[in-house]
Amino acid sequence: MKVTVFGATGVVGRALLPQLTGHELTAVSRSPRDEPGARWVVADAATGEGVAEALAHADAVYYLVHSLGVRDFEEQDRAAAGTIAREAANAGVRQIVYLGGLGADGPDASPHLRSRRETGERLASAGVPVTTLRAAMIVGKGSAAFETILGLVKRLPVMITPSWVSTPTQPIALDDVARYLAGVCGNEAAYGEGYDTGGPEVMTYRQMIERIAALLGRKPRIVEVPVLTPYLSSLWLNLVTPVNASVARPLVEGLRNPTIAREERIRTLLPLELTPFDEAAQKALA
Amino acid sequence: MTGWETSERVLESGGFESRQRVLVPEPVVEASEAGARTLGVTYWQAVDRFTRGGVRASWTGGGGNLKLLGGATLLTFGSPELSFDGGLVSCRHAIRGGLLALRAGGSVTLAQRPEGEQQELSVTVEEYLPRLAARAGAPPWTGMFYAKVQSPFHAAVSRRYFELLLRSPAS
Repeated sequence: MKVTVFGATGVVGRALLPQLTGHELTAVSRSPRDEPGARWVVADAATGEGVAEALAHADAVYYLVHSLGVRDFEEQDRAAAGTIAREAANAGVRQIVYLGGLGADGPDASPHLRSRRETGERLASAGVPVTTLRAAMIVGKGSAAFETILGLVKRLPVMITPSWVSTPTQPIALDDVARYLAGVCGNEAAYGEGYDTGGPEVMTYRQMIERIAALLGRKPRIVEVPVLTPYLSSLWLNLVTPVNASVARPLVEGLRNPTIAREERIRTLLPLELTPFDEAAQKALA
Repeated sequence: MTGWETSERVLESGGFESRQRVLVPEPVVEASEAGARTLGVTYWQAVDRFTRGGVRASWTGGGGNLKLLGGATLLTFGSPELSFDGGLVSCRHAIRGGLLALRAGGSVTLAQRPEGEQQELSVTVEEYLPRLAARAGAPPWTGMFYAKVQSPFHAAVSRRYFELLLRSPAS
């Protein structure tokens, strides 16, 4: 199949490309690149520049783009997804594969998760079947959420944390997300479907912090306080972790709601052996 | 959502049994571990929402605590026992203690099961020994707080839980 990957230079995109060997790959980046394994083209989903060319003759398209960190990220994501949907329909694309966020369907979804859901809806708006995979925190080097937790663990012997540390989540290894994404490519059973992709373990953020700390040989003291707003949390994260406040805030707002898989149909469609959290974290820390 | 019912009775053992249920036309969660877990997680989310964050569940590896304003532990629970067998999907937590329990014992079970052509969603508390309820032989007013506050509060949380489950159905 001819496959085009938008967001090929991102954390997920880079993990996905090696999983798609065997397909005729076009990798999309906003700046010129020339790396082996794919034909690299320059395009920008936000402006629409180069998108038609990137999609020419494609059978399947991966949409791994987001505008997190930009002030009006919701509007930008909607517009970019609309452009891809339109151009994909014009190009005769048979499938769009999209990675959204777990927990995005709830009534109390954060702006970030709401935006992920709207992006999926916008991608489907021009009639090309969309396959949506939904994931919570992705455990891998460079993943913003994972790097945030890691930054906290590495820098703070004592953490004063808001109540979201007790929210359950189901982190998934970067490699597992990439394998799931690759597995649905051209799979007609997955056309127009959405799947929750949770990792093998459910844990709270507090447990996650403790387990990452244990891998690093640390034992931070965690003091949970009932009142710490997402805004204050994001400023604090900006101060003590490498993650920018504009990225941290939408992420933190989403942490209040549980992000766990509500269904396991992906495990029937693609029965993969999932990576245990500690193993995934260890790899990300290497 | 139809068929709302709430009931409570004192068992011969002295423990309390409380049950709330509604009927829905379709399954709300899948018959799987994820579906069973969703029942539990959504219930604790409903407690949080109903109290506007005043009462929250805090989980560790071995179970959870229901805390008032992040401080006082109202109830402690065991780890979720997830079950999906035939049409029944359930998440059960053993009650291990806390300020609102006279002693460890009993459980809370969130379940979905077929009921004719519909599905029943339920919250069942069994063999719970509430500290605030009137003891055998004691004047009824000693259990006033439980009867007028804790018990209606629990029923209202259950109702909120059903609403929350229905507002975010599985894909």
